[in-house]
Amino acid sequence: MLNNKIKFNLLLLASFLTVSPVFAAKSAEAVKALKPALAPVTGLKAQDMPYDVGGAVLLTWDAEAAAPEGTLYRVFVSSLEAGGWLQTAAFASGEKMSKDMGLPFWAWKARGGMHALNVELNNIYGDFKDGPVFHFKITKVKGTVAAESETASSATVSNWFRLDRLNNLVLLIVIIVIFFWAVSHARRKGLFIRRIAGLDAIDEAIGRATEMGKPIFYVPGIGSMGSISTIASAFILGEVSKKVAQYDSQIKVPHYDPIVMTVCKEVVKQSYMEAGRPDSYREDINHFVSADQFSYAASVDGMISREKPAACFYMGYFMAESLLLAEVGATSGAIQIAGTDVEHQLPFFFTACDYTLIGEELYAAGAYLSKEPMLLSALKVQDFGKLVVMVSVFFGMILVALGAKFGWDGFVQGLLHLFRNY
Amino acid sequence: MKLIKKQIPLAIVFITGVLTLVSYYVPNKTSVNYIETMNKWENIVVAFAFLLGLVSLFFSHYHKLKKKADGWGYSIFVFVGFFAIVIPAYVSGGKQMTDAGLTPLGWSFKYIYNALSGTMFAVLAFYIVSTAYRSFRIKSMQAFVLFVAAFILILGKVPLGQMIWDAVLGWTGAGVNNVIDWIMQVPAVAGKRGIMIGISIGAIVTSLKIIFGIEKQYMGKD
Repeated sequence: MLNNKIKFNLLLLASFLTVSPVFAAKSAEAVKALKPALAPVTGLKAQDMPYDVGGAVLLTWDAEAAAPEGTLYRVFVSSLEAGGWLQTAAFASGEKMSKDMGLPFWAWKARGGMHALNVELNNIYGDFKDGPVFHFKITKVKGTVAAESETASSATVSNWFRLDRLNNLVLLIVIIVIFFWAVSHARRKGLFIRRIAGLDAIDEAIGRATEMGKPIFYVPGIGSMGSISTIASAFILGEVSKKVAQYDSQIKVPHYDPIVMTVCKEVVKQSYMEAGRPDSYREDINHFVSADQFSYAASVDGMISREKPAACFYMGYFMAESLLLAEVGATSGAIQIAGTDVEHQLPFFFTACDYTLIGEELYAAGAYLSKEPMLLSALKVQDFGKLVVMVSVFFGMILVALGAKFGWDGFVQGLLHLFRNY
Repeated sequence: MKLIKKQIPLAIVFITGVLTLVSYYVPNKTSVNYIETMNKWENIVVAFAFLLGLVSLFFSHYHKLKKKADGWGYSIFVFVGFFAIVIPAYVSGGKQMTDAGLTPLGWSFKYIYNALSGTMFAVLAFYIVSTAYRSFRIKSMQAFVLFVAAFILILGKVPLGQMIWDAVLGWTGAGVNNVIDWIMQVPAVAGKRGIMIGISIGAIVTSLKIIFGIEKQYMGKD
């Protein structure tokens, strides 16, 4: 009985030893079939992100020519030599290619077959300073299989030049050169400046106010002194108030911004002095009304309705109050001249005012009215700028159309990069 | 005197202008910090200037009341309005809402300030109608083009207009919505871009005039 049991156990052991390698091989094959091998990411490089304020690292790695569908990249970052990995990005294998970096050709060599990722460390580590080295790795994932890359390391640096904005800088330098050429040219020779009807009507409006013995309202809008249109408005106010002083008429300038009020006080006072009428200047010509948009509009509307001015000027930055002011002025029977660079308010001024200065005409108005050659020369620069834009648009259209027709993709992209704002 | 009134301010404008311009091309932290500092300074100056504005407002209306000038009665409302907000603000410690609900300041804001602002904004609707009426008077070729474009837009935005369009011009195959899209995306955008290009160039040139001290009217001429 005992012998039989020993025999049975020996037989069982022998059969297990014979069969187990076969099973082991079959099991490995089955696993291999379930989890195919995944090649890890190759060529991972980390470097400081160029042209930025700091706090970002640029990762590049080779793109897989035929990555299996559904493959994901998971990007990890760590501030430690070992461990401490945090996932910072996850995306499909076809995304974040080198050509999608959004940088122009002179600042970034876009390579086909390469991934590029801008890792902003501020988003992960909060407020941190440049200097320490960070480590990166990428895990390629397909279903339940994952393959990890080698690590790459880099520190971040705060850069000193936005090479991607080189096109902008070159254009600025060209404009500055032309600007000084125009200024020196204006000193030597006179310049022809086309007539601007809205500005020619200023004399008529002031004359009318003088004859009627009614005031003129000059509304500088709701912009701050940092707004170009408000600055331009202050220049126009200088010329308008000079004429008002010469004709011994009255002008009222209600303000929204106290700083603009302070500047305009100086401008008006100076104009009265230049006109030889310092005695006619009153401190309350410029007065503060309200720093709230609709309170300001309501107050100025009330003044216009009560005082029935002969002329209203709306020059500067306007929003929804443009129509509130201009419509009340129109119903009061005043001559109205408006000017703004807010293009969506222009239709309201067009319909409610007698004359409207469109954007650039507002900027040109101060120079046009002063007739100073130095200031007039700037108008020539504006004209030159427009010429450059017109020529660029014309040839750009033709070249892009030809490029699209003949498949010159690189050429078309390069051309578009030249005129893009980065 | 000229040094203090002219040359030093011009130098400040030049240096500040150039540094601000350069900061657009320099991404370094120094440049970012400079811009942040300038913005903080601007806020501080604005806060002080606001006091200046308040003094100007009070003096202007005080003199009107004192002289009993035309419309002096309205000046009373300036002081009433001022105290109607400032006293509740003081009582409420500047808070509009507490666990107990609206504070006096919150009440003033909600039932006085917001109501008045809303009223002013609502007035716009009536003004738009009267402005539209004025702009629809065809006096020139441009006004005619404006009228036609506006008419199509109005027509296309109401179901009745769409039905009329389909009945009258349905045979053309062009739906009124297609025409509206074309008007908004082609001529309107083209015109807007033209204006914006002019504005941008004008802004650059005006900035250069100020930075290089060619335009200095804002500080008086001599």
